Amino acid sequence: MAVTLGFYFDQTLCNGCKACQIACKDKHDTAIGVNWRRVAEYSGGTWQITGDTFSPNIFANYLTMACNHCDDAVCVDVCPTTAMHQREDGVVVVDDDLCVGCRYCEWSCPYSAPQYDAETGRMSKCDLCTDYREAGLDPACVAACPSRALDWGPIDELREQYGDVAGIAPLPDPSVTRPNLVIRPHHSAEPVGAATGAITNPREV
Amino acid sequence: MFTDLSMTVFSIFAQMSVGAFVVLGVVQVLARSRGGRSSEEIDRLTDPATYAVGVTLVLGLAASIFHLGTPMNAINVLRHLDASWLSREIAFGLGFAGLGFVFAATQYLKWGSPLLRQALAGLTALVGVGLVASMAMIYTTLEAVPAWNSWVTPVQFAITTLLLGSLAVGAAFMGTVMWRRRQMEQQGELPTTDARDLETITTSLKGIAVASILLLGAAFVVIPLHLNELSQGGATAVASAEVFSGAVFSLRLALVFLGAGLLGVLVYRFAARTHADPRPLAVVATVAFGLVFVGEFIGRWQFYESMTRIGM
Repeated sequence: MAVTLGFYFDQTLCNGCKACQIACKDKHDTAIGVNWRRVAEYSGGTWQITGDTFSPNIFANYLTMACNHCDDAVCVDVCPTTAMHQREDGVVVVDDDLCVGCRYCEWSCPYSAPQYDAETGRMSKCDLCTDYREAGLDPACVAACPSRALDWGPIDELREQYGDVAGIAPLPDPSVTRPNLVIRPHHSAEPVGAATGAITNPREV
Repeated sequence: MFTDLSMTVFSIFAQMSVGAFVVLGVVQVLARSRGGRSSEEIDRLTDPATYAVGVTLVLGLAASIFHLGTPMNAINVLRHLDASWLSREIAFGLGFAGLGFVFAATQYLKWGSPLLRQALAGLTALVGVGLVASMAMIYTTLEAVPAWNSWVTPVQFAITTLLLGSLAVGAAFMGTVMWRRRQMEQQGELPTTDARDLETITTSLKGIAVASILLLGAAFVVIPLHLNELSQGGATAVASAEVFSGAVFSLRLALVFLGAGLLGVLVYRFAARTHADPRPLAVVATVAFGLVFVGEFIGRWQFYESMTRIGM
């Protein structure tokens, strides 16, 4: 079995500039509304009460998300055509010759990775920039990040180097799909299901 | 929105078809067990409704094609039977349609013994139940969608199947009676319905009325339980419940209540009386079906609208 690949995201470094999102869109020339990588602004807050004084205690952090090429890739399981499949290196891709465009994989994915392309009538998704990697380059999103918050590589090495956090709000519990993702959480990041915050740019993600 | 429409039409018509086929089977079994009537006589009452099931099923399957982005690849949806409930749904759907067609053909041509045809009908009904079950599994297994990932999905699908199936059969029986009477009128004869046929039909309609009232009760227990479950869930579950509010949701509840409840009572009362003119019963049975159909259609539309996923 070849090594399984994944993404690393250092949330403490991300300033929400969305260069990764735009680099991905530019590289893959995706249609309007199709964004394989998206950046969510997650924010919230409470009141800190000291005596009779209420002072706001607020937070905001950014979360960039593409496909996590999950170990339990639910999109692969539910796909009726076997178009959605996992390669030896764990990368989940769509076979255009098989895909019927039923969008069941879209419903199943809590990371919004498979996205419907109305122009081709098929599903489309992140392939971890297979062509760039074969040419010895980094995926477009990783290369574009000005604060070096993104990295990719064999998931075992990423976990060894950065730990094994894969679930912070608003992401689902990692047990749902076992994503090949490592996050270094921002100090204000909330645990999964805490839900005191909310995504403030829902139409962008 | 268009894709929601095709899924709504497909799922409602497919479930109504399965429900009607099962209810026709129950009518057949009960009518035979009461004795006194030959299988030909009972077939004469149920056959038109059986053929109508074929029409509604084909309509539903045709609508499902419009959901696909690349219909040319449609045959590929049977490739993942070992893991995908969507593959299984289509396999059951085609099986139900195929067996149903063979059964209808043997009924029409009177091929094989009645026992053989009954066995075929039983097998078809079983595959139909498999179709509804696999449809429910498609949604209820999705952990990413809290509104669907619940015991409520299979229960609601079962209620819709039986409720629409029952009322459709009631409307079809009365439609057949009225159509035959009209043919007599057009031939200058006095319109009559064989007293024993009418008795079988009114007995069936009484059963259908009772079933629809009970199913209405079940539906009106499940809906608040579902809302309760969503309100106890995470932020996504709470957000997905927003669909089930406002005028459209109220309209759905009102239509199903009027159709299955109030008119169910009227259907029972009219069917329990013997009278020369079956027209009032025909009108009430048809309107009851129409109201519930529209109500269930809205309900399924909102089911698809409640698709809000966890995560981002």
